[in-house]
Amino acid sequence: MGKNQLPKDFENFADARKEGFLKIKNLKDQGVKVVGTFCTYTPVEVIMASGAVSVGICSFSDETIPDAERVLPRNLCPLIKSSYGFALTEKCPYMYFSDLLVGETTCDGKKKMYELLGELKDMHVMQLPQTQTDEISKEMWYREVLALKARVEADFGVEITDEDIRAAIRLKNEERKLLKELYELSKACPPPISGAEQLKVLYGSQFKFDYEAKLQELREIIDKIRQDYAKGERPVPESAKRILITGCPLAGATEKVVTAIEESGGVVVGYENCIGAKTVDKLVDENEEPYKALADRYLQIGCSVMTPDHNRFELLERLIDEFKVDGVVEMTLQACHTYAVETESLRRVVQGKGIPFISVETDYSAADTAQLKNRLAAFLEMMA
Amino acid sequence: MMKKSFIGIDSGSTMCKAVLFQDSRPVDVLISKTGWNPKVSARQNADLLLERNRLAPEDVVFAATGYGRESLDFTEHVFTEIICHAFGGMHLVPKVQGVIDIGGQDSKVIRISNGKVVDFLMNDKCAAGTGRFLSMACESLGIELANIDGFVNLEEFTPINSMCAVFAESEIIGLLSTGTDRSKIMAGVLQSIAQRIRQMIERLGFSPGAPLLMTGGLSRSKALLEAIAKAAGLEIITHAYAPYAGALGACICAQQRVAAG
Repeated sequence: MGKNQLPKDFENFADARKEGFLKIKNLKDQGVKVVGTFCTYTPVEVIMASGAVSVGICSFSDETIPDAERVLPRNLCPLIKSSYGFALTEKCPYMYFSDLLVGETTCDGKKKMYELLGELKDMHVMQLPQTQTDEISKEMWYREVLALKARVEADFGVEITDEDIRAAIRLKNEERKLLKELYELSKACPPPISGAEQLKVLYGSQFKFDYEAKLQELREIIDKIRQDYAKGERPVPESAKRILITGCPLAGATEKVVTAIEESGGVVVGYENCIGAKTVDKLVDENEEPYKALADRYLQIGCSVMTPDHNRFELLERLIDEFKVDGVVEMTLQACHTYAVETESLRRVVQGKGIPFISVETDYSAADTAQLKNRLAAFLEMMA
Repeated sequence: MMKKSFIGIDSGSTMCKAVLFQDSRPVDVLISKTGWNPKVSARQNADLLLERNRLAPEDVVFAATGYGRESLDFTEHVFTEIICHAFGGMHLVPKVQGVIDIGGQDSKVIRISNGKVVDFLMNDKCAAGTGRFLSMACESLGIELANIDGFVNLEEFTPINSMCAVFAESEIIGLLSTGTDRSKIMAGVLQSIAQRIRQMIERLGFSPGAPLLMTGGLSRSKALLEAIAKAAGLEIITHAYAPYAGALGACICAQQRVAAG
């Protein structure tokens, strides 16, 4: 790849994607480094502190899966196939223009895919422990955070000062506070926005690179929603059943789950997943030693790759109560073993609270749209 | 005046069932092949029920369920099969704690408590354990679906090991080629479906005491009922109107909705 050249297929892309490419090319032309991330365990503050921008790599569309399947097995999580496919096909602006990719040893599928991805792109893999409470795991993850700092500094020829990292932590915390304020608007009965709208803001926020402007925009969105609600606008009927979504990352192709719920008389009030509450629920302690604070905060994110996974259940139970949830819908992606196995423990926790629960497995195709609709409509009728 | 007649259509993947419901009971039923156009078969069934009961369309509330439900243009109320089979089942046998429906392209088990659906499981990702699987086996074995009970002795069966309907067909063809008795293969197919249903039943956690009602067309097979009952260790019953439970449930759900305003 030549310096900041657009990919050869650029002219064939739709406008939104062209815009994504141009936006990031513009940053690159100004000398800004771009770091692609895959997972909420990446302590992005380290990347921000280096002056680079971090961005979530495209992984929510089926368009690159056929290409990925030339290399990866078919019976693999679609998210893993999709992201690898985007690297192969140069269709994701962030993957394409990234100077470095950062992944973690989360699930087996991802960590093995990273080996192959490392052949195509500069790749840094952080070794994520599988438990969250013992001292050895905490120490190991702290060292991994320091190793990421060293890698970023070496690759980009910068030095991250104490001031840099503290500023990045403060900035990221500000974003978390705003995103949390936004999704907590849906604690109201009825909520002021649909789950589809909430998702759009939560997911979209990671593709805005001017932080000051992003925080400003979030503030404005929140204030506007508040004002409209205060004026009596009620876009969601009071009768809509309040649904909490949990499970694998949900965006793009899998928004079909949200659509099916909201077309069947439900409203998604919250997301206990990597697009929603998981990433923003807890702040990084600004008074601690910064890298220690980052390591402690990130390691405590609940995910089925952890054993045991108490933090997921703790957050989920809290959201059920705070958002007055009527039912929980779990979405797992095909061939995601850790989430699929954890479904049973989750079912016991949710049903133990007397809350209806359903788990649906899906992939990135549209083939099961009618079946999903049928199941989720039945789930909502059950609660009526 | 509030309408007191309801016609429920259960437009399934294979068969289209229709029920006329008056004074809170089913008074006429009919069934026909769904065919390639679910709209046409549903309309014909509805018209036939109207005609032979001397009713005009404006006297009746129409409700639909089944996979074709969204395509119908004359039904005011639409419900999923889950809720319809549950309410239809409870109407037929009030004491049931659950309903099993093996449909053409999916199978479902529904748990009922205090007159409400409390949980359900659906197998719709895979043909194993569905009516499609059984009709494929019947075709391979040259047995009419309606005659399977006459063919099998459940105690004498050849296990079918393939979990996939497509591979099970290959397995059946392989067994036939080695001279295995087809009645034993058929019994093996029923056992295989029963095991699938048993897994769903056990996941939902039923307790002995009250029966489960099997609805849908396959409730006509005593052998299949017996295989499921044995596998699950629970009492499984059926009812003369069980194939119409979905359509009946659509009437009941519509009646409740109309009454609720």
